[in-house]
Amino acid sequence: MTHLDQELSKLKAETLKMWALVLKQLHKSRSALVQLDKDLAREVMNGEKRVNAFELKIDRDCEDIFALFTPVAVDLRLLLAVLKINTNLERTGDIADGIAQFVVDLPPNFDQKLLEISRVVEMFDQANLMVSDVMKAFEREDPIRARKTFKKDDLLDEINSLSTSVIADYLRMDVRLPQIEQALFIHSIIRRLERVGDQAKNMAEEIIFYSEANVVKHQHKKAGKDGSA
Amino acid sequence: MEIMVDKTGSGVRSSFNQAATLDRTVRARGIKSRLFRLAVIILTVISTAPLLFILFYIFRQGIHAINWHFLVNIPRPVGETGGGVANAILGTVLLILVASVVAIPLGILVGIYLSQVVTGRLAYWCRLSVDVLQGIPSIVIGILIYEWVVRPMGSFSSFSGSMTLALMMLPSIIKSTEETLKLVPGSLQEASLALGVPYYRTMMKVIVPAGMSGILAGVILSISRVIGETAPLLFTAFGNPYLNSNIFKPISSLPLLIFNYATSAYADWHQLAWGASMVLIVMILVLNLSTKLIQSRWKAQF
Amino acid sequence: MEGAVLNADGFNAYFGSNQILKDIRLEIRKNQVWAIMGPSGCGKTTFIRCINRMHELTPGARVGGSLTLDGEDIYAMNPVMLRRKVGMVFQRPNPFPTMSIYENVIAGYTLNNIRLTRSKKDEVVESSLKRAALWYEVRSALHQKGTFLSGGQQQRLCIARALAMNPEILLLDEPTSALDPMSTAKVEELLHELKTQYTILIVTHNMQQAARVSDKTAFFFLGEMIEQNDTKTIFTNPKNEKTQNYITGHFG
Repeated sequence: MTHLDQELSKLKAETLKMWALVLKQLHKSRSALVQLDKDLAREVMNGEKRVNAFELKIDRDCEDIFALFTPVAVDLRLLLAVLKINTNLERTGDIADGIAQFVVDLPPNFDQKLLEISRVVEMFDQANLMVSDVMKAFEREDPIRARKTFKKDDLLDEINSLSTSVIADYLRMDVRLPQIEQALFIHSIIRRLERVGDQAKNMAEEIIFYSEANVVKHQHKKAGKDGSA
Repeated sequence: MEIMVDKTGSGVRSSFNQAATLDRTVRARGIKSRLFRLAVIILTVISTAPLLFILFYIFRQGIHAINWHFLVNIPRPVGETGGGVANAILGTVLLILVASVVAIPLGILVGIYLSQVVTGRLAYWCRLSVDVLQGIPSIVIGILIYEWVVRPMGSFSSFSGSMTLALMMLPSIIKSTEETLKLVPGSLQEASLALGVPYYRTMMKVIVPAGMSGILAGVILSISRVIGETAPLLFTAFGNPYLNSNIFKPISSLPLLIFNYATSAYADWHQLAWGASMVLIVMILVLNLSTKLIQSRWKAQF
Repeated sequence: MEGAVLNADGFNAYFGSNQILKDIRLEIRKNQVWAIMGPSGCGKTTFIRCINRMHELTPGARVGGSLTLDGEDIYAMNPVMLRRKVGMVFQRPNPFPTMSIYENVIAGYTLNNIRLTRSKKDEVVESSLKRAALWYEVRSALHQKGTFLSGGQQQRLCIARALAMNPEILLLDEPTSALDPMSTAKVEELLHELKTQYTILIVTHNMQQAARVSDKTAFFFLGEMIEQNDTKTIFTNPKNEKTQNYITGHFG
């Protein structure tokens, strides 16, 4: 193993560690939401600092490797991919933090029925699954696995697009102020989870770029439509 | 427009003409090259031919004289047939041996010095005197040694002959050592010094061995050049019809024997001279061929 | 100061009336890999040659200021003893042409008349060649001439020859400038492996090489040490504009 290979595998291990941390943040904020556990939500908000520290460290490591080794070809692509995945992970971490913030701010007598009808927990699980799938794809450098996540995004899109009417129906039955507030919270969370799906897809694209030198960005939407049609 | 067309037309024609001229020139050059090559080959053959004739003639004359008896016996007095040149062979070997013992270490050391010191007053004068020494006629060296060694010691001797030959070997040993060692890359010296090897050990263990093939070749060539010297030995080694291994007594050598017997009036002795010539020539051939062998076998790759 | 293997404090070097090095200050600690980079004629090779006192072999060379090895003044030491403690590898591979691979490795002992037993010799040869990452390539040809090896192998042989003496510090003077890229990569890998056991100072005009192999880098320009720092810092955030211009290629 050459010196550069050693550095790159260290970087990869570091990225995977950050990934695991972000995934843990997502799982925790899901539990916090389902159990309305404000302490757990605060824990997530604390964890955000660690995610940010990780992002800075990986950025710096990338910079050093660029400066010291001037990598080319597959090494260069790995580095570029890690650089972007790093940003995506940090944003995903931000989203987990944002959701936790909502949970902390939720009014005490939260209507559990809203969670059910909005399918937000289902969406949350799907988003987390996507992030962990892409992580495995990265770990194994498996572009086929990465490609599979594109399909999983459809469920997120579906729940997201239905959510407006579902929430509108909910409010039609009972339009008191706390209900409106709760509905808006859930709506926001759904929007954010939709973003998590996007981040996961971006990361999948980077993995495909890295392992196949193939730019799939801005193409798969069309391809996906063609495929589903 | 017309002018332009005309011009273009003539341009095309002239380029045709040019091509034809060019063709002729190229062919003429080809012929010249072939003639030149032929001339070179013929001249090379012509200049090699005398050597072949000489060898052929000497071998034809000498081969009858050569036999075991010829090699191990000393000459017999006039009137007796047979007899050999053992005294001259032993003398030549002894003369060269003693000369080498003196000239080789001295020549190599001076050569090392000159290869190391490129500039400097001493090096300049040393180089100059080596060149001048090389140009001094052998008979002059002989007479000098006669003055310096033979007269103070009171008799002709093998030793004084050896000194003469040593003096004549020196310049070519020095030159060949210097030139060979200059070709040894300086990086080798640095490599050795950087290992903490003192300068003199670096020279003796690294630099001289690296140039050994060239130095040896120079030494052997210098021997083959002095082995045939006659004139300076006339007043130093003098010659001796008997076997002698005492270096302070007169001694015979092949060239001396050839000189003495070839100018004598007896056919038997002429025959001995031819045989001795052949022995001498074979010795020189062996030395020359071994130089070639050493150069190809021991050549250090840098 | 403690732990400094090599320490230059206001060190100067001259050729006749020309000052080649001006007031060099550098402190090299144990098991660090230092790179000195700079354009041709910046004095980097002169500096490295001052460390094992090869500089003074050139007529007209002088030095001034302090240069110490393990706290001992280099210019008060016997140069022959000093050079046994300082390994040096040169620009062009220079194995001894009259010696076999085996003899080349232990040349530092044999040429210095240091006697070793047969088994000790074998041990030194094997361990040095292993450390120089050459053992597995040459172990069946130990008694062939070193000059039959490829350029890169010859250079690793020279490194093995230097390592055999267990030097306090290993100096490398542009060790790969005469090698092809593959051999260069091998030598660089070797340096990376050696840095856990040796203190190394490498001079190079190839700044990528400095970046790849060293922990610390010093930038020399016109005989002055412009900047020294962690290699990472030098290559990502140099403090001096000259360093910046040099490493970005905007020089002059």
